[in-house]
Amino acid sequence: MASLTHSTPHRMRRAQPMKLLTSGAGIVFVLYVLLYAIYASLQPSALSSSTFTNLVNNSVPLAIAAAGETLVVLSRGFDLSVAGVISLTNVLMAVYPQEGPFGALVSLAICLAVGGIVGAVNGWLVAILRLQAIAATLATMIVCQGLALVILDAPGGMVADWVSYELTDRLFGVLPISGLFVLAVVLAWLVFKRTNLGLGLYAVGADEQAASLSGISVIKVRFAAFVGAGMIYGLAGFMLSAQTATGNPNSGTPFLMLAFAAVALGGTSLSGGRGGLIGSILGAATLMLLQKVLFSGGVSSFYTGIFQGVVLVLAIVFGSAFARLTGRRTTA
Amino acid sequence: MTSQVDVMSKFQAEQDTRKARRIDRHTVSAIAVFVLCVVLILASRLVSPSLGSWQQVLTVLTLASFLVVLSFGQGLVILTGGLDLSLPAVITLGGVLTTTWIGNGPGAWYMLPFVLAICGGVGLASAIGIVWLKVPPFIMTMATSIIVSSAALGLTNGTPRGASPDVLLLLMKGSWLGIPAPVYFLVIFAVVGWIVQSRTVFGRYLYALGTNRDAARIAGVPITLVSVLPYVISAVCAGFVGMMLVGYANGATLRMGDNYMLPSIAAVVIGGSSILGGNGNFAGTVGGAILLTTVGTVIAAIGLEQGLRTIIEGGIILVALLLLREELFERLRGLSGKPRSGG
Amino acid sequence: MKRSMFMLATAMMAATFGSGMVSQPAHAQDGKKFKIYLSLSYSGNSWQSEAANIVKALAATPPYNDMVELTEVISGTDPQAQISAYESMIEAGADGIVSFPISSTALNRTIKRGCEAGVLFFMYDATVTQPCAYNVSYITSGFGENSAQALVNELGGKGKIFLSRGVPGNSVDKRHTDGALSIFKKYPGIEIAAEYYSYWDDRTTQQETAKALVAHPDVDGIWAQAGEYGAIQALLDKGGKLVPMTGENSNGFRLALADPAMQEKGLRGVSAGSPPAQSGYAFKLMMEILTKKRELAATNIEYPLPWVPADKVKICKGEKFEDGCNAFADGVVPSSFVTEVLDPVLLPELSIQSALNGTPVEGATIQALPAEVKQAPNEPDINCQGCEPPADLYHLTKIEPTVQP
Repeated sequence: MASLTHSTPHRMRRAQPMKLLTSGAGIVFVLYVLLYAIYASLQPSALSSSTFTNLVNNSVPLAIAAAGETLVVLSRGFDLSVAGVISLTNVLMAVYPQEGPFGALVSLAICLAVGGIVGAVNGWLVAILRLQAIAATLATMIVCQGLALVILDAPGGMVADWVSYELTDRLFGVLPISGLFVLAVVLAWLVFKRTNLGLGLYAVGADEQAASLSGISVIKVRFAAFVGAGMIYGLAGFMLSAQTATGNPNSGTPFLMLAFAAVALGGTSLSGGRGGLIGSILGAATLMLLQKVLFSGGVSSFYTGIFQGVVLVLAIVFGSAFARLTGRRTTA
Repeated sequence: MTSQVDVMSKFQAEQDTRKARRIDRHTVSAIAVFVLCVVLILASRLVSPSLGSWQQVLTVLTLASFLVVLSFGQGLVILTGGLDLSLPAVITLGGVLTTTWIGNGPGAWYMLPFVLAICGGVGLASAIGIVWLKVPPFIMTMATSIIVSSAALGLTNGTPRGASPDVLLLLMKGSWLGIPAPVYFLVIFAVVGWIVQSRTVFGRYLYALGTNRDAARIAGVPITLVSVLPYVISAVCAGFVGMMLVGYANGATLRMGDNYMLPSIAAVVIGGSSILGGNGNFAGTVGGAILLTTVGTVIAAIGLEQGLRTIIEGGIILVALLLLREELFERLRGLSGKPRSGG
Repeated sequence: MKRSMFMLATAMMAATFGSGMVSQPAHAQDGKKFKIYLSLSYSGNSWQSEAANIVKALAATPPYNDMVELTEVISGTDPQAQISAYESMIEAGADGIVSFPISSTALNRTIKRGCEAGVLFFMYDATVTQPCAYNVSYITSGFGENSAQALVNELGGKGKIFLSRGVPGNSVDKRHTDGALSIFKKYPGIEIAAEYYSYWDDRTTQQETAKALVAHPDVDGIWAQAGEYGAIQALLDKGGKLVPMTGENSNGFRLALADPAMQEKGLRGVSAGSPPAQSGYAFKLMMEILTKKRELAATNIEYPLPWVPADKVKICKGEKFEDGCNAFADGVVPSSFVTEVLDPVLLPELSIQSALNGTPVEGATIQALPAEVKQAPNEPDINCQGCEPPADLYHLTKIEPTVQP
């Protein structure tokens, strides 16, 4: 996260914890805490562990989807297939449920594989055939939506009980289990970020030609970004299925715009090269929390939209103003 | 002083060679899109014997007119490296204000421009956020979109009333020499749009801005004005599409713009523009809009279940993208393809 | 007194699902208002806003105006957002939630949690499969099969038709279409030339119908779900020849059916389909339970199918459904206005102003509902899960076949 202030891979290694606060993720974290404080003051039960678990369960699918989208956005791409992959994996989970913990593992593997395949197709179209990402992934999204409709033509089906009960439960009565999946994604990211591929991701996003000249395989990086993103969407579909317990061929559609909003709110530049996955996850959590705050604040439904829009803009404006004031975020 | 002149002349020169290449490449690309449309229309005879007819062409052009107007604005925004997600909301705003404030009462001649001005104001608000507050276009236009939808909802209390002004009915329902009025409108709009984008100083500034902001600034492009205007134009276009839809269906609903967001971007991109800005051509965009609409009419005639039709639709778009790949043209013309960014 | 057959039916329901708890209203009438939430999907079309408006109007009609604290929440088309909204409502101590559910299945878990906390859930129009929620819906009343038979009758059993459907992947759309296909399949002379999705919207219907007309200019009839007025427009755009068609309850469609000039051009058919009045019925039922005027365990309740053939269209003189009228003159309401928002028996308190603005009628007071409620049949994945549908699921209720296959 701290590394998002610099674009050259070599300087990224010297990330300092001090910079955390002024990074995109730091700012959105502060925002989240502030909103939660408001929420708790309006609704005292907000501090109970069951309310928090519900909130986490609600936020997890979007948070993971946004995390996947971040990979592609960092490499200066767009990936609309997020909506298609989530719908597709969700109907697969509901139509072909696998019972028990082992079944859950099989389901998870299927979801990751489906996402990975779609990601590979995207990677082939964008990285190798050089199609424009937004158009190519629009096409794959449409194809995935069609596949989802073929598999399940109306909402229905049942996700395996083990998945839908265990994964939405709490560990030791406090820790939401779904949150652990997010944690796993974060840990994987922290490791990946330090690999050559991870460093390449920032370099390609910041300046493709420079990255190419310094010996990074742009094709390989882009391809990997799409495949990784696809697999993470698969995980998002898996978690969504755990939460809703049934299938819906249109379940991925709402994620399209929200995922991008979460990415941007989390401080990742939509033109690539700057930002990080953790910010996006916090961004997603903030978007979901905002609904709760507006509800408990008693904002009339007609004006909820106006509030949401204004908060979105203010968050970004203050975030970047704050970053500029502290002078950490140099213009790339 | 001298250095600035140097940079400027260098930039101009670069622009000229760029332009020469651009016209070359994009003309080819635009022609290819149109050829693909014709091929698709002819091939659709295989699906149903009534297809592949002149009648189909007229229907496609009538239905494409909405998307053409919309993607002109979207195209200008994309040209500067932005993106406008507020189009569906502004379409609705334009439509709803037209039926509730004007209806089939008098005063359409001054009220219609007034409604368009309000829509333009929405675009201006987006632009202010983007240019001065430095909010990313994606987020800013998404936020205006949410705000405008919410306002339209509050304004109408959920049920838009009123009907279409006569002049819009005339525009969308009239016909002359057996050809529907929207087709004439589409042709005129396409020509004017092409001139604005490719043959005016404003258009040149947009390309300069989208290619390299700093260079454009040094070359004396009025950056602020040129950054703001596309959003205003885009919102006015969207408002006008709202009016066209009102004329077409003689009424407004609060969801009338919903289905236009991704198509407006897709038309621009399929037409050969880069989503990263700085290149593209309106002729290609018009072709892209017509191509997408053609795909829709052909798909509608295929007697398969919806899931399979959706898959075929995605497949056709993919094939079109692969056929329209720049490298393919460059290879065809025997040029040694310079590596270009994918994006 | 109201221990009639429905109690028996509900007892059976309770036995079937083993969840026969009659939710105890959390707050009795100790001077505290009932906390009721109205949870909507998108509020973008006339149907949705009319349904919401009449609930608001009823909540403002005496004596409910002193008993109810009503809060409206709009969740868009995202089930996650509605899940989150339900959770907030449960936390806030809701007594009841009247809702148009976005998904028939995705909300189940949250609803169950709410039921356990003593919240009453009343779903209108769309349904959920969670047995502890009340579904009040016309969906089982056979719109698809009855309207399909009406179209077949008009066409004399043969012809090329279009199906103008709703939203792909939606259970309501699927139920209607399955019902219609059960009829069309019996007639080999009926050819489904095109089938397209119109998203229950006039404009989309018009554009999709226009596209289908290119391939099949010789269509003989159209079976449409909501948005039917757009199909008429598309036919008129094509040169004025109309065909027999069935559709839902927009005022524009009803006026067109009754218009001699349109009939001259070939328009015939039936207006049926989803009535927004369901929301009002659901709300009143819920209030009667909360105020202990009625005992009713969670169940599926069928709302009667509106059924108005062309010769039965009657234009209202006033602002209410009186003397059997069922449409309003041009200009009183927009053409997309869904007329079946009023009901002289179930919702006598309301007028079109209530439907348009959410305002109560001056001087009106809440009238008690008829004691009997009609039990809806089981339909898997629509109002129950893992259940068996009755053998005669698609039997005709409104019309007899006049032509044999």
